[in-house]
Amino acid sequence: MLTAAELVGLLRAVAAGDQAAFERLYAATRAKLYGVVLRILRRADLADEVMQEAYLKIWNSAGQFDPAVASPITWMVAIARNRAIDLARKKRDISVEEAPEALEFAAEFADPLAGRERSEELRRLLDCLGRLDPEQRQLMLLAYYDGLSREQLASRLGRPVNTIKTWLRRSILAVRECLGS
Amino acid sequence: MTSDDDRDVLAAEYVLGTLDAAEGARAEALVRSDAGFATLVRDWERRLGELHAGIEPVEPPPQVFERIRQRLSGAEPSGAQVVELAEMRRRVQRWRNFGTAMAALAAVLVALLVTSVLRPDLMPARVQPEGPAAGRLVAVLQQDAASPAFILTVDIDQRVMTVRRVAAQQPSGKSYELWLVSKQFPKPRSLGLVGAQEFTTGTALAAYQPETISDATYAISLEPEGGSPTGEPTGAVLWGGKLIETLPAARP
Repeated sequence: MLTAAELVGLLRAVAAGDQAAFERLYAATRAKLYGVVLRILRRADLADEVMQEAYLKIWNSAGQFDPAVASPITWMVAIARNRAIDLARKKRDISVEEAPEALEFAAEFADPLAGRERSEELRRLLDCLGRLDPEQRQLMLLAYYDGLSREQLASRLGRPVNTIKTWLRRSILAVRECLGS
Repeated sequence: MTSDDDRDVLAAEYVLGTLDAAEGARAEALVRSDAGFATLVRDWERRLGELHAGIEPVEPPPQVFERIRQRLSGAEPSGAQVVELAEMRRRVQRWRNFGTAMAALAAVLVALLVTSVLRPDLMPARVQPEGPAAGRLVAVLQQDAASPAFILTVDIDQRVMTVRRVAAQQPSGKSYELWLVSKQFPKPRSLGLVGAQEFTTGTALAAYQPETISDATYAISLEPEGGSPTGEPTGAVLWGGKLIETLPAARP
């Protein structure tokens, strides 16, 4: 992975229509974005489709990227996740129960961040998530990593949808408070 | 529990992805129409986005970039989303140098195409067209003289579609949404919103096979602003129609 500053430079070049820069940007970020969308969609054909849409969107919106607001990779991941979740909601047939990989993901879920390098922002976020009730922390992480809807979260955690809704709200407000809105 | 909190929770859930399709579409429409809400979403993307560090990178198949490149050079921007023509023109400019180089080749191809349409028997056997001339298909969609009219043009090779509004005013708080109806799919598939400008161009058809595109019925419905909240047409279907070819078939 290139440094954030290098990615910012590439995004600027892409915004100016530089195709070679776009290719380098793709090479530097494709594995991260594919990891994100594949985990949510669990089907390679759908993940391929979302990758195309995400990078076309990145090509088109590179000029709107503002390094003061987000890091380049966070911005790109947000675009890819957004597309993946959109597609996941439209295709109801991507059922968690039917996906063979789901169990694998659940097992590895224990601590996806173990042993990884952590940015200062990530440390603060993890600290705040760590203050949540464990089940609510798991809820937030499952929602983020697996892109599950409230209904899917309810069935995964064996809780009523209304409880999930309340927990999400409580956790979101607690995290905001903790990070200092 | 304040309404400010409600908005912030909606923004956070939109970023997390826990909303259902209808709520997600509403939040999406808010992002586009409400700068304050868009800022809330960006803040949550920044806060929660750090979690991506927990995702294991996975190499995508090599053909993914190949397709991205094809869609950029041939079809131009954006997949499922409909792109305004003004934006298209700006983007197209970037690929124009390449286009100039192709022009000479294109002239030869046009000569071949004309020959293939008028005198297919003169064509070398290998390039004689197999079936009807592929290329531009068009549908004129209007219920009666008083109702809004749209002209849908599809370049089937590039799978680019352009919708031209002829007499369709945009009712305030509503959006026109284009649908593909095919017996291959149990439900209509959205091809995106028709923009407020005269021309809207999009590449949503790239996801479909040419046979599906040419056999499908196309419909436009009037939906709440930002599009159907359910993923299916919910408003009045203003018209439906099939594509016809703009050129005569290569062989009678």
